[in-house]
Amino acid sequence: MACKFKTILASISIALTLAGCASKGPVSEIEKLDYKSRAITRSDGAVLVSASVLSADESHDIYGVPLAKKGIQPVWIEVENGDDTAYWLMSPGLDPHFFPASETAEAFASTYENETLEVLDQHFSALAFRNPVPAGTTVSGFVLTNLDQGVKMVQVDLVASGRHKSFSIFAVIPGFRSDYRARRVFIRELYTEDEIIEYTDEKAFRAALEELPCCVTNKDVSRNGDPLNLVIVGGLDDAFPALVRRGWRPTEQTWSGSVLKMINSAMSGERYPYAPISPLYLYDRPQDFALQKARDNIHQRNHLRLWLSPMRYHGKDVWVGQISRDIGTRFTIHSPYLTTHKIDPDVDEARTALQEDMVYSQSLVKLGLVKGVGAAPRDAPRRNLTTDPYYTDGFRGVLMFDVHPTAITDVQFLPWEGREGGFIEYTSQQQ
Amino acid sequence: MTERYSIQESVQRPPCRKWFAQVVLILSMLGLMLTGCASWQPPPAEFDDSDLRARAETEQVKGVKLSAAVLSTDDSQRMFGANINGAGVQPVWIEVENTTDQMLWLLRPGTDPDLFSPLEVAWSFHTSFAGETNALLDDHFHSLSFQNPIAPGTKQSGVIFTNPHQQSRLLNIDILGQGQLFPFTLFLTVPDDRTDDDTALENVYQLIEMAVDDYQNADTFRARLEQLPCCATSADGNAAGDPLNVILVGDFADIVTALVRRGFRSSALEFDSVQRLFDRPPDIVGRKIVTGGMPENWIRIWVAPFRYQGKTVFVVQAGRRQGWRFEEIEDKDLMLNPNVDEVRNFLIQDLLYSSGLSNIAFVSGVGATRPGELRDSLGGASYHTDGLRAVLFLVTRPLSLSDVQILDWHPYLKLHQTDAVKKIGNDSN
Repeated sequence: MACKFKTILASISIALTLAGCASKGPVSEIEKLDYKSRAITRSDGAVLVSASVLSADESHDIYGVPLAKKGIQPVWIEVENGDDTAYWLMSPGLDPHFFPASETAEAFASTYENETLEVLDQHFSALAFRNPVPAGTTVSGFVLTNLDQGVKMVQVDLVASGRHKSFSIFAVIPGFRSDYRARRVFIRELYTEDEIIEYTDEKAFRAALEELPCCVTNKDVSRNGDPLNLVIVGGLDDAFPALVRRGWRPTEQTWSGSVLKMINSAMSGERYPYAPISPLYLYDRPQDFALQKARDNIHQRNHLRLWLSPMRYHGKDVWVGQISRDIGTRFTIHSPYLTTHKIDPDVDEARTALQEDMVYSQSLVKLGLVKGVGAAPRDAPRRNLTTDPYYTDGFRGVLMFDVHPTAITDVQFLPWEGREGGFIEYTSQQQ
Repeated sequence: MTERYSIQESVQRPPCRKWFAQVVLILSMLGLMLTGCASWQPPPAEFDDSDLRARAETEQVKGVKLSAAVLSTDDSQRMFGANINGAGVQPVWIEVENTTDQMLWLLRPGTDPDLFSPLEVAWSFHTSFAGETNALLDDHFHSLSFQNPIAPGTKQSGVIFTNPHQQSRLLNIDILGQGQLFPFTLFLTVPDDRTDDDTALENVYQLIEMAVDDYQNADTFRARLEQLPCCATSADGNAAGDPLNVILVGDFADIVTALVRRGFRSSALEFDSVQRLFDRPPDIVGRKIVTGGMPENWIRIWVAPFRYQGKTVFVVQAGRRQGWRFEEIEDKDLMLNPNVDEVRNFLIQDLLYSSGLSNIAFVSGVGATRPGELRDSLGGASYHTDGLRAVLFLVTRPLSLSDVQILDWHPYLKLHQTDAVKKIGNDSN
């Protein structure tokens, strides 16, 4: 196993060399605005929330230290509380591994001899968002999160006695490069109104999900890759907050601007991350976005790719996706970077783990399984585009979200596949 | 000899920054590939689980019976043919017997939000150029792992692969039925790591039993909490220790469940044991682990000698060490961060996501420090505080964020309201 560990390090270093240096693109309109001017505002009743994510340069200017170098990214949040009760902003909702102001001061105090800890501590503490937000007041400040590049899903949970309000904002972070191809994707609308298919009948919707292709493909659709084993019903208000609360974050460089365009139309024509390194294809395009969940060990992550489908279910967006658990890194000749993630061949395990995790997210209302992937038994596994073997019971996991908070016991099971209560017998063992 | 790479170890290795180091790595990698790695051997005989069963802890909730035991290094060698424990994974054997009439599902993130998958653990024992052996290894690990669902009238057993807990393990298992949750909390000993801590946990149960005063009235309970000492003390009682800034109220299992769901793991250090309350060191110490395996903050827990409406009361110090989380600090250099209120407030927020928090209140009792003033604690540490204790009530019934009630015990909000209004007034000037 020592040899494997070294292989991983060696291949990462080769990949880094090949990747070369990033070049900055031209300055866009959004970068000319300061963080308050480009903040995006959302409202729920009498409560208004604005948020903006600082670039590395801005955070250096405001905090006086290079926060980005330590992987810290300030998110500016303003809550205007026109309600009749006080609200608290929940930092773990924004990022379960956020950085307290005092800890961040300590991170830099040892590096900067001229700055005493006390000065930094007072400065950072004054900048921090201070709870609560009393009725009729406006409070603003920063929450220090883990660094994301290009775009950030900002999840604002406000809690009052017996009440909860949830806001999701996709914020573009200035200062990242782009390329020409991705820009073309960005200015294109994904679907026209005529192309959207609205479902309200559960049977018809289930049939449509079963008809989806089994797998992602390569660009020219000549080979099948990972199975499309996930369907998410929901979006900005419900599904994405759930993912953020449980520690899922956008990956670097994997956002196609088209989704941003759809979500934050005001941001049209602005910067977005460049195209993914190893895109997988569905609907003739690479994934609209990719998310990852870093686990206890920084080398291990779960990956999730999503495409917005032309379907809607009861007015909600329907995303089709692929989830896998990375259990390491290995050499491959099928990627220009010579390394790829080794995925857990039991792909159903990652799908089930996501379903179980989302039960704790407070936003999941229904879960179930639907056919469409096609079974691949353990003794005759299929292979993805980087030739990793996988096997599956052939089902896609379906997750339906709603903005109203749902307790663990109120999550319902779709009676689609499997036995009573939507449970599926775990059969891969017998195959 | 099978070569292993520790999943935990790799976290703590600093990234290679220098090219020559990478070249050395490439060369050593090639060297290792050429010499080859010895491959895994299946265990010779069927694993006899009678020892495991004998030491397993068992609990019954309604019609569901759960047994669990942590595998020793020897167990995992005999069962898996590999020292899983040595790879930074703690295998736990569980058996669920379902005598209800509904299908049940074990929710793994309730036990450990960062659980390892069976094939992930298996992969860390794969060797190069050994495809067939690796496939056998995968099959073996898979067949021994716990599989959902648990059908009515059946028994399901297997191993789950958790992150390690030292000494005693507080195992939380959430089993979901139709609109019903069966939560279990078991205290398991870690076989290779037996210490006095095992007896310490038995003591916790005894201390809970010994708490006789049972306050029924909120006002008298609140008054009792305000009368608790501000802080722990040194062993000789002469010096003041860290502030007692949190009170947890609930059944022991509910409190532990909420903490485990938010990633706290039991972990007591010498550093914690110098703090004394009720003439003893903390009864339990939990630490929250963040990505990368670095400790974030701690809670030191003492069982109070009284109850509230039949529920157990814990007196708690919530604190964080000084220093940046990615900077390794030796145990002897640990020191309390002065901003204890920040840790207290973030603990409340964290527990709001545990689905177990029902009520929040504040009481006085710590005593506020004056602006700019620091109060001394043990080991040269000092801190500042607004002087409040957070009182958190935890329940079994899963709750959503909008179910949490904030009790009006202390004019905390009014104080902050005045502050905020003042601040707005200043800003507009």
